[in-house]
Amino acid sequence: MKRFVIALVAIVLLGPAALAPADSKIKVVATIPDLADMARHIGGDLVDVSSIATGVENIHAVPMKPSFATLLNRADVLLLLGLEAEHAFLPALLEAARNPRILRDGPGYIDCSVAVDVLEVPTRLDRSLGDQHPMGNPHYNLDPVSMKEAARAIADGLGRNYPEHDAVFKKNLDAYVAELDRNIARWEKEAAPLKGKKLVSYHPDLIYFAERFGMQAFGTIEMRAGIPPTPSHIAQLEESMRKNKVEIVVRELHYPAGLAETVADATGAKLVELPAFVGGVPEAKDYVSFVDYNLHTMLKAVQGS
Amino acid sequence: MGKVARRAGIALAVLALGVTTLPRGVRAQSDGLRGELEAMRKQLRQMQEQLRKQQQLIDKLSAEKQVPPPGAPGATAARVPGVKTAEAASADEERLRTEITEKIMRRIQPQLAAANKTFPSQFNPAIGLILDNVASYADKERGNFEFRAAELGISASVDPFARGYAIITGSPDGFDVEEAAIVTTSLPYNLTVKGGRFFADFGRLSKFHDHDLPFVNRPLALDNFVGGESQSDGVEVSYLVPTKQYLTLTGGWYNKLGAANDRVSNTVSRDLSQFTYLGRAATFFGLTDSNSIDLGGSWAYTPEVKIDNGASRNLVGVDLTYRYLPLSQASYRGLVWGSELLYNQEDRPVGGFPASSAAVAATSLARGLGVPPLAAGPAVSRVSLAEPAVAPLLFKRRDTTGLYTYLEARLSQRYYPGFLFDYAQDIDHVAGYTTSYSPYFTLWLSEFQRLRLQYTRLEAPGNHENQFFLQWTVILGSHVHGFRDR
Repeated sequence: MKRFVIALVAIVLLGPAALAPADSKIKVVATIPDLADMARHIGGDLVDVSSIATGVENIHAVPMKPSFATLLNRADVLLLLGLEAEHAFLPALLEAARNPRILRDGPGYIDCSVAVDVLEVPTRLDRSLGDQHPMGNPHYNLDPVSMKEAARAIADGLGRNYPEHDAVFKKNLDAYVAELDRNIARWEKEAAPLKGKKLVSYHPDLIYFAERFGMQAFGTIEMRAGIPPTPSHIAQLEESMRKNKVEIVVRELHYPAGLAETVADATGAKLVELPAFVGGVPEAKDYVSFVDYNLHTMLKAVQGS
Repeated sequence: MGKVARRAGIALAVLALGVTTLPRGVRAQSDGLRGELEAMRKQLRQMQEQLRKQQQLIDKLSAEKQVPPPGAPGATAARVPGVKTAEAASADEERLRTEITEKIMRRIQPQLAAANKTFPSQFNPAIGLILDNVASYADKERGNFEFRAAELGISASVDPFARGYAIITGSPDGFDVEEAAIVTTSLPYNLTVKGGRFFADFGRLSKFHDHDLPFVNRPLALDNFVGGESQSDGVEVSYLVPTKQYLTLTGGWYNKLGAANDRVSNTVSRDLSQFTYLGRAATFFGLTDSNSIDLGGSWAYTPEVKIDNGASRNLVGVDLTYRYLPLSQASYRGLVWGSELLYNQEDRPVGGFPASSAAVAATSLARGLGVPPLAAGPAVSRVSLAEPAVAPLLFKRRDTTGLYTYLEARLSQRYYPGFLFDYAQDIDHVAGYTTSYSPYFTLWLSEFQRLRLQYTRLEAPGNHENQFFLQWTVILGSHVHGFRDR
């Protein structure tokens, strides 16, 4: 009887793993939908892609749900933005997921930032300077040129893990990069009216976007990265915006609306509300439509002002 | 006059000499300058020539790129006589690229070498320090500035198979190793083994360090039943069931459960029946994207507690946490409702343990135990004046319950108000029960600095007390968001 009970318990606990139908597709888990979209283009029918974030979240405050641990537990590869962007949830989830394959330095851990030209790499690390990212600003997903490097990192990573499909990944990558290149040429042409325009964002996550399209990231509503604003900081910011004729205030949609509106009203700047990731608004269904949405929304604001 | 004429003649001669010699020096100087100028012009011409050649090469390469592929309409017409083939241009381009790369690499090599230097200290673990201070005022105990703790956290990978961490706390009571544990990282079958001293996987908030609690003080139910933090020396095996539904199962084997649990000493050997064994199951239900429930059940079983007349002890807990976190606003909006219900069953002496430490020591020695002095904890601190200190104790099976429930709102990135209700029966059934009501307000100045104001109304039969607290907590250095602290 005792042995029967032990056997029953073992079957109940280990059975789900042993009896689960073998799925031949490569299970890819991305931290953000932008990378998930690229993985679908590059992996094609060979991959089954999921994303932890839906795109509406603040990457620095994605709720750490245990259901993500089970998702990561079954992952063959993990795609991440890197540069410590996911520090608030990913290290703990990886610990809970118990999947050595996707631990940092594991074969399935694909950091998409490895070849990106990183901006704002701090020369001094000190918490008085805010919630710093020691390896540099991680919000490169708003720049399509940087994201070409992310796409290459995905193809390289998938090819490293599944060399038998390397040729497919490379072919799909070339096609996807060509598509991005065509769009980048279009976007750069369309972005001409943005040249030299100054913007203030809630958090320093528009820096890559500004750099790519000739804008100037002037400052942030946050006092420092990750530090909520104080009244004196807002007063100084508004004064400085007026003196320097800053025309745009960007509210990334995962930050509170009230203060961004107040700053825009007080300085006569135009308020622009932008998603930070694919899926952040219904129109941003994939990476190309995400950049389209951001650029066209910004253009509308600049040309209307 | 003749003298003057002679002087004038000398002066004229000098002047004439000067006139003839000075221009010669100036001429020589200007000749030198002219030569240098010539050399510079030559260099400039050479550079211009070099630039012109480079420009030609760039133009050729650009022209080659614009040539349509063979077979395309107009391909022949677009070809320019004398222009290199695409292969040759590609080779030139490659050569140029290699040259430039080599030149850049030569230049940055010294900086790369400097940046790539390694030091033995680079393998030092991540270190963080948490400072926790509380100013308090109570009706009976009056005011106090309490330096609660400076808690040093150290963590690093051990090797590819394990990581280690330690929490060393300095407080007015001295230094204490709160945790020092080894955790496996690469076991198969979703298993994790933890060994050393750590907070056992019992319930939810008993695994939180004091400064990590949502309120100033640990709920009475946890203090009285678990013994504060669930600190344990032992080993724990945890299993993530490989299903889509999140489910973890934990089994633990410890000397005892609870930092302030003085039923058993940590330092003496014991029979297998005197260890504490733990089982826990925890699951999660995502009701919607924004609403979720964490549910857990824990059971700590000690087959034989010597000080409790050798009877067994059962400590059972159920914890439930509801969270509302709107995905797009999770950093500044939300609601958490957390509750734990505890049930304790064990033999306790009628009227409680005797008061004097000598008596406890005598009793303990007689039982062959190494029970710490009376002052060390609540379990042996009950006083019964009715009984003589050395009289044989009469034990009775006691069932007691305790619970806490709290609701905390996240109004902004900074402001977190909340309310805690706490209820705990006296384990010895001497003092009845205690309840407390604690509204509190937390102000997060940043992720690393927090102020908290709390009022607590403590009520026991025939007794009550008002308490006020102001807590100031900061984090220095390395800080990670742990899964168990969620």
